[in-house]
Amino acid sequence: MQVPKVSEGRRWRLGVGVTLVVVALFVVAAALGSTSSTKSAGSAKAKAAGKYGEVYKADPKILAKTLFNAKLLPPRGMARNIALAAYGRASKKVNFNLALKCWKNDGCSTGTGGKLKVAYIEPFGENVYRHISKMEFILQALTYKSIGKIIYRSAHSDLNRALADFRAMIAQRVDAIVTYPDFADAELPVFRQAKRAGIPVATYAWGYVTGPGTNYTTVVGENVCKLGRAYAKIMNKYVKSGEIAFMGGFPGNPLSAGWQKCERPALNKSIKVVASEPTNWDASKVQQVVSGILAAHPKIKGWSYEYGLGMAQGAFQAYKAAGKPFNAVLTLRTDDVGMGCKTRALKNPKLKVYYYTAGNSQIRVALTALMMRLKGAKIPPKIVFPIQLQNEAKRTECVKGYPQEASATSLVPLKLLHRMYP
Amino acid sequence: MNARVGTEGPALHAGRRMTSLLADALVGARFLSVWIATGVLLLVAKIIAPEALQSTSWSFVLPYMTVLAIAALGQMLVIMHAGIDLSTPGVMFLGGYLIVGVGHHDNGRLWIAILACLGLGVLVGLINGILVGILRLNPLIVTLAVGQIVLAEGLRYANGLAEAEVPSRLSSFAQKRPLDISAVFWTGAAITVVVALLLRYTAPGRRFQAVGANPRAAWMAGVHVRAHVVFAYAAAGTLYALAAVLLASIRVSVDPAFGAAYLLAPIAAVVIAGASLAGGLASATSTWVAAFGLTLLNQVLLIRGLSTGMQFVVFGAAIIVGMLISGDRIASLLGRLLRPRPAPARIASGVEQDTG
Repeated sequence: MQVPKVSEGRRWRLGVGVTLVVVALFVVAAALGSTSSTKSAGSAKAKAAGKYGEVYKADPKILAKTLFNAKLLPPRGMARNIALAAYGRASKKVNFNLALKCWKNDGCSTGTGGKLKVAYIEPFGENVYRHISKMEFILQALTYKSIGKIIYRSAHSDLNRALADFRAMIAQRVDAIVTYPDFADAELPVFRQAKRAGIPVATYAWGYVTGPGTNYTTVVGENVCKLGRAYAKIMNKYVKSGEIAFMGGFPGNPLSAGWQKCERPALNKSIKVVASEPTNWDASKVQQVVSGILAAHPKIKGWSYEYGLGMAQGAFQAYKAAGKPFNAVLTLRTDDVGMGCKTRALKNPKLKVYYYTAGNSQIRVALTALMMRLKGAKIPPKIVFPIQLQNEAKRTECVKGYPQEASATSLVPLKLLHRMYP
Repeated sequence: MNARVGTEGPALHAGRRMTSLLADALVGARFLSVWIATGVLLLVAKIIAPEALQSTSWSFVLPYMTVLAIAALGQMLVIMHAGIDLSTPGVMFLGGYLIVGVGHHDNGRLWIAILACLGLGVLVGLINGILVGILRLNPLIVTLAVGQIVLAEGLRYANGLAEAEVPSRLSSFAQKRPLDISAVFWTGAAITVVVALLLRYTAPGRRFQAVGANPRAAWMAGVHVRAHVVFAYAAAGTLYALAAVLLASIRVSVDPAFGAAYLLAPIAAVVIAGASLAGGLASATSTWVAAFGLTLLNQVLLIRGLSTGMQFVVFGAAIIVGMLISGDRIASLLGRLLRPRPAPARIASGVEQDTG
């Protein structure tokens, strides 16, 4: 049987048709490929953008303001993402009138209709540092539409009351608690109670209680051991040899214990720590302690402490009353404006002051960590910020317009700060 | 005419008279023990912590002991009337913040600020006095409650203040050093002398002491007992406010712990000085010395480098010992030991007893 010949025209049409099919296939394949790559790119963008309702991106100016340097974030992983997400929210506009009302009334309804209740409770809330942290918490909470109620409690340095406040929050079934545990492990029972009730808890400013990740969600702050070593580095460089003294806060508090434990072994052998005294972060006690140590060790060359303004109010007075010039090296944790201004006013080139950030804005990181936790994120037990001590002579704490007890690394806008303290 | 029962030799009679005089002298010198104890402390400090007696140390001890002494003087007035006042920290706290808030960094407003602080002291004292003296409520509970209310009001007031520094003229005053000693010390010394002179050498002062020593007898003598109790608390409140002014001048600024150390320390100073918590006589100058001793002891312990825990132990033990050897206890003990006993009755044959 003879195969009929395919005509030229038909052959041509067939060729075109096949070509078209092949081209179409290619186009479809390309389209599918680009969609998936777009999805991948989109997913990649989404990964870069964030997860758990957050965007892992922050304005470098905000980072530089609050951390001294935009690079001083936790170095990697989820800790870094949480920090970026938290500081990213600091750029969002919030209702300052509502924030101020919330701050004055120790809490408020946000008016968003959100179902979540978040609490910031602390054993001691009576100084400006704590007031500012409270406002940072409120401002951060107001960036979440899902938060319907903000609660604040301070126990006025009363442990029993602090524990009662915690239990009250658990009974009210709040969704998240941020706290600074002034009484350290004495507060462990209520941390565990909150854990059993399914309420995530986070601390900030390295408010360390035993068992982060186990007994509570996370602790945010700097590694206080590294802080101690940073102090030692300064003392080794500028004191070189001689006598120095340590001062701390309440006896046994985790912050003081942490850095002192690590500074001592890191000091030169020719530097002797002649005293280590608690001060309850009370300027009167600072004055008494400095006066006593100065009387016993008139050649003392350096002081390591946390509370900058306490040092300025207490130690400067002690030296002045003793008629001695304040020729010493100071390593401090907080960057209170008043410390910088008083240092500048002394005009003493032999007084060297090195400081770290007060860390008010770390409370934002703590709250964001808990919000992400509520959305199912796995939160690292410690969110640790690197340390870089600042030299007062090169970067002054004395920033115009700020109250003396405030810190210029706080992310509370200046105009709101002026409304808080008219 | 009474005749002695039995026979008593002149030697025995003279001996009894001597012990009676000695007892009177010792009871009169009930406040001596705090002076002796402070002298001993100075000697001990000279041996174990000589740096505590150097100018660097005095620059802290003298001003701060003055603040404690003024607060203790207020407490003394209340304790003389068998009362107690636990509102001291609250008054000092709110008083300190009033100086900051009303003064508002303006030297022109300093006197208004000080008056506001003193006015607060008078007001709180009057409230305490009325509740205790007129309504006869328990002073321990009432003054504690009033103190808490004042403290809460202080916290509310302090919340609105970002700055904590007092007007510069007040802090400059504390820097002055006439005869190389803090002006705060001289001010406190003057106040103490005035209080001591008023109590001892004026009629109202003597009546004040009489009410404390024996309220019933004072009432029967026509003294308004309740008015004196109210006055005691009002004067005490004024002195606490004055202590707050002095403390603010030394400290230059006020903070949340301002005044917190003055809850029990003034009471300890008053009792160690020889006053009885049951009321009665007290000495302003001995209270001053007790305040000095307590502040110096604190400084000695710090200079010795004792751990914080040991400092608390030693300080607490010193207060207990101070109370054990306080003039009030020694005076009562010696009074019991040396009180002249009546001569024993002896019945001898043929001697008639005088029953007339």
